[in-house]
This record gives sequence, structure tokens and C-alpha cells, in this order.
Amino acid sequence: MVLRVNGLNEKWNLKSVLGITDMETVKLDFDMTPFRTVRYWAFRTMKWFKLKGFIILKSSKNNYHVIFDKKVSWKENMHIVAWVCLLSQHKALTKWFLMQCIKEGSTLRVSAKKEKPQPRLVYRFGSENNQIAEFLAYRKIVKSIITKLQRQKELCTPTIKTQT
Amino acid sequence: MAKKIAVYGSYEAKVHVRQRYWKKRIDGVKQRYWIKTKRTKTIEQSGRYEFYGKGKDLYKATVKAHRFMPKGFVTVSAEKFLENPERYGFEGEWIEREVES
Repeated sequence: MVLRVNGLNEKWNLKSVLGITDMETVKLDFDMTPFRTVRYWAFRTMKWFKLKGFIILKSSKNNYHVIFDKKVSWKENMHIVAWVCLLSQHKALTKWFLMQCIKEGSTLRVSAKKEKPQPRLVYRFGSENNQIAEFLAYRKIVKSIITKLQRQKELCTPTIKTQT
Repeated sequence: MAKKIAVYGSYEAKVHVRQRYWKKRIDGVKQRYWIKTKRTKTIEQSGRYEFYGKGKDLYKATVKAHRFMPKGFVTVSAEKFLENPERYGFEGEWIEREVES
């Protein structure tokens, strides 16, 4: 016997992707790269450009995001990413870099995408007081928005309870 | 500028079909014009919102962005978007398709 049917008239979908965009944080998106290589490039970049510290987020298997702590200008940001692209000869990173240049702001995903889960923090090194702290605070806001949206979605999907 | 929340992906929306027509001007030159017809067609394309502003506005704007699909690549304050969402997007539905960040 059907006891309760909730919110049949509302329709929700979370098929869009949520991310964080800014110009002052150096970010790198390493797709199809093992963790050791990502860590190597993160260390090398941090030392060469004196970026104070970095964190590595795992977005899915062999896909990682790197965020550095030092605040830089957009010009300097792109200078650093281009340097990494040139030296690492990483095709996916170069493609990502070109896309960021076109839209004049670097974006990294926060929400889940298709079968990929939300990126999670797997490695941290050095200072985390500037851009990393800001990024993590903003990530918290976005995550709370996602949680609220998912809760709304759950409330809006029809829940049919049957009596046994 | 501070950090922005990006809402992006592919979507399906119904848009009015535009029709081309020609009109002869007084000086003899044939000028091309476009009119928006009542006919609609379903389009599938990708778009992106970039919202900035306060936390509460950002949440409300993100919720609204699930109904209003962006007209291309839109960077707008969450507050302004909430005041007039039709200006920045049209009604449609997000679809699951591979998108790059």
C-alpha cells in the first residue's frame, strides 16, 4: 500500500559541474598521470618559482589537481603553467592550459562529474596559509551548496513507501 | 577579483528559430535582416556560468542555474543573476555529456 508520495511536481538534476575559478592561484590539472610524476612536477615548480607550498587533490584514478599557496598575478600564473607544460610535454595539461587562457581564469572541479567522484585531498606540503586556505574555504562553501542541492533532490524525488 | 563559482556543462534547450530575409534599401543595396520566428528548435550546446558574491546569493544562484541555461559563457554577480535570470539564460535542462573544465 502506498503511504506517501513526495514532490512529484518538482524536477531536479545535478548534471552540471561545479568548480572554482580564479586568477591569482596557480593551479595545475594533471590527467592520466601517476601520482609520483604529479608530485615531482609540483615540487619542481614550487622550488623554481618559490611558491611556498602546495596541495594535491585526487579527482579520479591517475587524475590529479595541484594548487599552490603563493598569490600571483594572472600574467605570472600563466607564465608558470606554460613553463610546466613546456618542460613536462604533458598533452592534457597543455590543452587545459590553453582553455584557461581562452576564458581568462583557471578552473578546477569541486563536484562529482559523471562517474568521477569529488576531488579529495591526498597530499600537502609547505605553507597553506594564503591561496590554499582561501581555496579550501571556498571549496567548503561549494561543497555545502552541493550537499544542500542533493538534499533538495532527495526531497523532491518521489518516495514511495510500501507496507509489508 | 575574488574566487568565482563555475557552473558548467552541456545542456538542451528550446530556442526560437531565426529566419533570414532580404530587403532592398533606397540606395539599391540588398540588406540582410533576421527575424525571430515563433517556431522553436531543440539545441544541444555547452555553456558556463561564473558567479561571484556572497554565500547565500551564490547558493540561490546555483539552484536557479539548474533551470536557466547560460547564454554562452556568462560571468555575473550572483545578486544580479537572481534579480533577472532571464537576461543571462533561457529555460532548459542540463544533460550528461563529457565536458572539459
